[in-house]
Amino acid sequence: MAAITTAGPSTAASEAFPIAARTTDAVKEYGKGDAMVRALDSITVAFDKGRFSAIMGPSGSGKSTLLHCLAGLDRLTSGTVHIGEVELGSLNDRQLTMLRRVRVGFIFQSFNLVPTLSALDNIVLPLTIAGKKPDAAALAEVVRITGLGDRLKHHPNQLSGGQQQRVAAARALASQPEIIFADEPTGNLDSRASTDLLDFLRHAVTELGQTIIMVTHDPLAAAHADRVVFLADGRVVSEMQAPTADSVLDVMRHLGD
Amino acid sequence: MIGISLRSLLSHKLRLALTTIAVILGVSFVAGTFILTDTINATFTSIFATANAGVAVTVHGHPIAGETGGVGGGQNHPIPTSLLTTVRAVPGVKDAVGNIFREGATLIGHDGTPIGGNGPPTFGANWITNSGISPYRLRSGSAPQQPNDVVVDAGTAAKNGLAVGQTLPIVFLGGVEEHFTITGIAGYGTSDNLAGATIALFTESTAERVLEGQNKYDSILVSAQSGVTDVVLRESIAAALPSYAEAETGQQAAAAAEQSTESTISTFIGTPLLVFAFISLFVGSFLIINTFNILVAQRTRELALLRALGATRAQVMASVLVEAAVTGLVASILGFVVGILIARALLSVFGSASTGGVTLLPRTFIIAVLVGTIVTVIAASLPARRATRIAPVAALAEALPETQPLPRRRIVIGLVIFVLGCAALLVGLFTSAGSKLQLIGAGFLGVFLGVALLAPLLVVPIAIVLGWPVAHVRGAAGILAGQNARRNPRRTALTAAALMIGLALVTCVAVLTDSVRVSTNDAIEGAFRADFIVFTQGPDFNTQAAQALQQDPSLADVTEVRGTSVLIRGSSQGIAAIDPANLGSVLSLTMVSGTASAIASANTAIVDSTEANASGVHLGQLVTFTFPQGASVPVRIGGIYTANALVSGYVVSLATMEPNVPAARDTIVLANAANGVSPSQAEVALHHDVKAFPLLMAMSRSEYRTFVGASLDSFLNLIYTLLAFAIIIAVLGIANTLILSVLERTREIGLLRALGMTRSQTRSMVRWESVIISLLGAVLGLAVGLGLGVAVSGSLHDLGITEIAIPGSNLIFYAIIAGVFGVVAAIFPTIRASRVDILRAITTE
Repeated sequence: MAAITTAGPSTAASEAFPIAARTTDAVKEYGKGDAMVRALDSITVAFDKGRFSAIMGPSGSGKSTLLHCLAGLDRLTSGTVHIGEVELGSLNDRQLTMLRRVRVGFIFQSFNLVPTLSALDNIVLPLTIAGKKPDAAALAEVVRITGLGDRLKHHPNQLSGGQQQRVAAARALASQPEIIFADEPTGNLDSRASTDLLDFLRHAVTELGQTIIMVTHDPLAAAHADRVVFLADGRVVSEMQAPTADSVLDVMRHLGD
Repeated sequence: MIGISLRSLLSHKLRLALTTIAVILGVSFVAGTFILTDTINATFTSIFATANAGVAVTVHGHPIAGETGGVGGGQNHPIPTSLLTTVRAVPGVKDAVGNIFREGATLIGHDGTPIGGNGPPTFGANWITNSGISPYRLRSGSAPQQPNDVVVDAGTAAKNGLAVGQTLPIVFLGGVEEHFTITGIAGYGTSDNLAGATIALFTESTAERVLEGQNKYDSILVSAQSGVTDVVLRESIAAALPSYAEAETGQQAAAAAEQSTESTISTFIGTPLLVFAFISLFVGSFLIINTFNILVAQRTRELALLRALGATRAQVMASVLVEAAVTGLVASILGFVVGILIARALLSVFGSASTGGVTLLPRTFIIAVLVGTIVTVIAASLPARRATRIAPVAALAEALPETQPLPRRRIVIGLVIFVLGCAALLVGLFTSAGSKLQLIGAGFLGVFLGVALLAPLLVVPIAIVLGWPVAHVRGAAGILAGQNARRNPRRTALTAAALMIGLALVTCVAVLTDSVRVSTNDAIEGAFRADFIVFTQGPDFNTQAAQALQQDPSLADVTEVRGTSVLIRGSSQGIAAIDPANLGSVLSLTMVSGTASAIASANTAIVDSTEANASGVHLGQLVTFTFPQGASVPVRIGGIYTANALVSGYVVSLATMEPNVPAARDTIVLANAANGVSPSQAEVALHHDVKAFPLLMAMSRSEYRTFVGASLDSFLNLIYTLLAFAIIIAVLGIANTLILSVLERTREIGLLRALGMTRSQTRSMVRWESVIISLLGAVLGLAVGLGLGVAVSGSLHDLGITEIAIPGSNLIFYAIIAGVFGVVAAIFPTIRASRVDILRAITTE
């Protein structure tokens, strides 16, 4: 119990870092009447710039919903979400699209690569969509650290799962977004590939100053983060700085997962 | 398993919607054609039955040489009026009347133009006073008594505001107007009308005069004394008849008339429409194959699971086929219903012919349902076979690779079918093989199937070329559009091939008409020396016009051209006759040997070189012409010329033809401006002269050229209309493939949206994929159509199609239209794609 701090205003990010994204009284409801489910139940939370944050919780705790709302993929029922100083609720579909295009990067559990495009074309896809030329040096750096140099001409079906997820990670980095949202990025990977990917994400944060917010249910994955926010029943119930796999597992057990 | 098929069917309602529409369209075309022709036939049958109720026996002449019988009569050996006495004297005959019933009495409406235009036939006939035999029933007024009295049919009267007491101008056989007084309005049997034709009834002597039937009838109608059966009476009469005439019972005559109209309707309406209906179904089958291929691909996991749980291959196959059969059945029944509407619409466009409802025979329903269901099942059997090859292990595997290389076997089969198709086409076109049309049809089919089978090989290179500019204009959306168009070459190829067929046929016909246009223009410029041409779009016209023009001092070299059919070595052939005196001034024939003026000698002909070669005729040889009235005349070949688009076959002098044909009728009259008269003055004079002949048209050479062009254009428009169903189905096919692809790629589209693709970029991506597929269809269609058009035009060299022309502007127009079709086909798929819910797309497994 000692490791668990109470939820509340104190979950705000520490003063040392500017805030990359935050929610205030975020509520998300699905369905109507008796069938209504409250996936987010008044969550107020902030995530620091330049840090690797993890969101954990048992199934149905609302962690994926929170990520989707933070990333502008889904809209809140009430409350606000900010990325930087922009309030997402005030944006129309096109503005949200532009925000995702310019300021946000994604890594999904199922790698979600475009099968007709080569690894390289997949990596630069967000830039192509935006009609921009990739910055050659930045791209070379991304390719170098993901170790995909000899795989760039391959199509997704010629790559292993780990390689595909590294392409997805490179894609998220290549457009140099403010925040990368990762939704269970290691969910479909074996432990070796998972470790590679997490090391890579850690590296991006430490070396490149990238902001990453990751949803995971794997304590080993969460242990790579700087901070873990725990959710249960749509509320923030706890958080932890500098987590280890054991300490995370401990909290999770208490949350009944 | 059937339960599984039906549940699958229900869950794919949207996916099968366009397939169903395609089958409905194809089947409705088939059903509509049958209903249309059945209804017209039934109308005639009931008319003949009621109109001839009082006729026990009909006497008419045998069909004459070189011609076939028809509705209007006049092509049978005429009956001299004296034969009426003979027939009346036969025991058992109650009464017999002479019947004159011929085409060529055109009524002029209140607006001064011919009633019916160039549409239904315009009959003239004698009023038959014996109402027990006559098919005509007076509705108001009285029978014609005076030479200038006329009774008109009730249908024409009602439609054109004709009433008893009015003066009615009538033109006979393309001649000048004569004025008649309407004394009565009559029905034909119980109908208002003979299925849309106009009928004008005169006294017998007037009918003989105006219809040029002096002392001749077309038939004799006989009623029987009570107690004498038709069959017995027919035998008695037949025994009394000379050899050129025969007797039929009323029933036989009605049956023969029905059969002859039925075969006419089937030749001119039924068969052509069915050909185009078949093309629509053929195109539709491509769409069906694609749909079921995609459904099977999407259900791979489910089908594999069924296999893993113990379903046999046969059960998997059956589950797909049952789904197809139910779809086909439902669509066919709907198609039958739509067919009824189409037939109704067409009947109301043709006007007249319909007397209310349509004729629905059980046969039509059975054919419609069988055709639609069988086509659907056969088309789905290829995807069904693919379904049986899904291994049970696929249930556990990741998604199958989307594209498999084209099997070598398929390439070989495609090549073989293509080559066989080309061979059949060429044999059908260029040799005198017995079943020309069947060979040509099979050739087209083979070429289309072969190209469709080989098309997947062409998809990638062509899509790369077409996609290049799109990628440069549309950025990411353009790049992805190009990639998507070639990610599944077989699917794209099949979709494009459906459009290819319609465009290839359109292109083929465009090349053909353009070749005819250019060849005719060449002939008009080269062979045609006359300044002016006078002609009609109806049957041949009498010589009044030529006589009038000969009186005009502004005109010179007025030359009649006549035509008739003769038997040459047992086969019927059209020959032309012309006045040799003016031949050189109005026509310029290129002679291979002999001279054109040789026809000035009696019983001498010139013939074109192709015909001469084909039938082995040489200069100086004697050829026997058997003329319609039976005279056999040996004709010497005095010259051989090169055929052109206006003149081909045998040509003789008027003097050679005249004694051997019953009536002098001109097909065209040619004339020049007289010496010292300017062409424009002569033209004014000519138009003034021809004004007296409401059915005739007079044109200068350049006007005639334009006129020929315009009639070719209207032919081309007719073909466009007939191919519209096939092209609509092809466009539906593109929409269908795109919708199914969009559904299949939901996750991918969601991802692109998540990565910052706007809705309009998403729409653009789908739209340009559609345009690339359409243009692929256009490239294939134009290429195949050009090949076919050149082959078909080339084969008509003998008919004077000496030039092969490629209508470049038409082809560019078709390509642009194809692109527009692509945009249209994409409307619904783009909406679907832009509405993809990002979150559901990327999170659902």
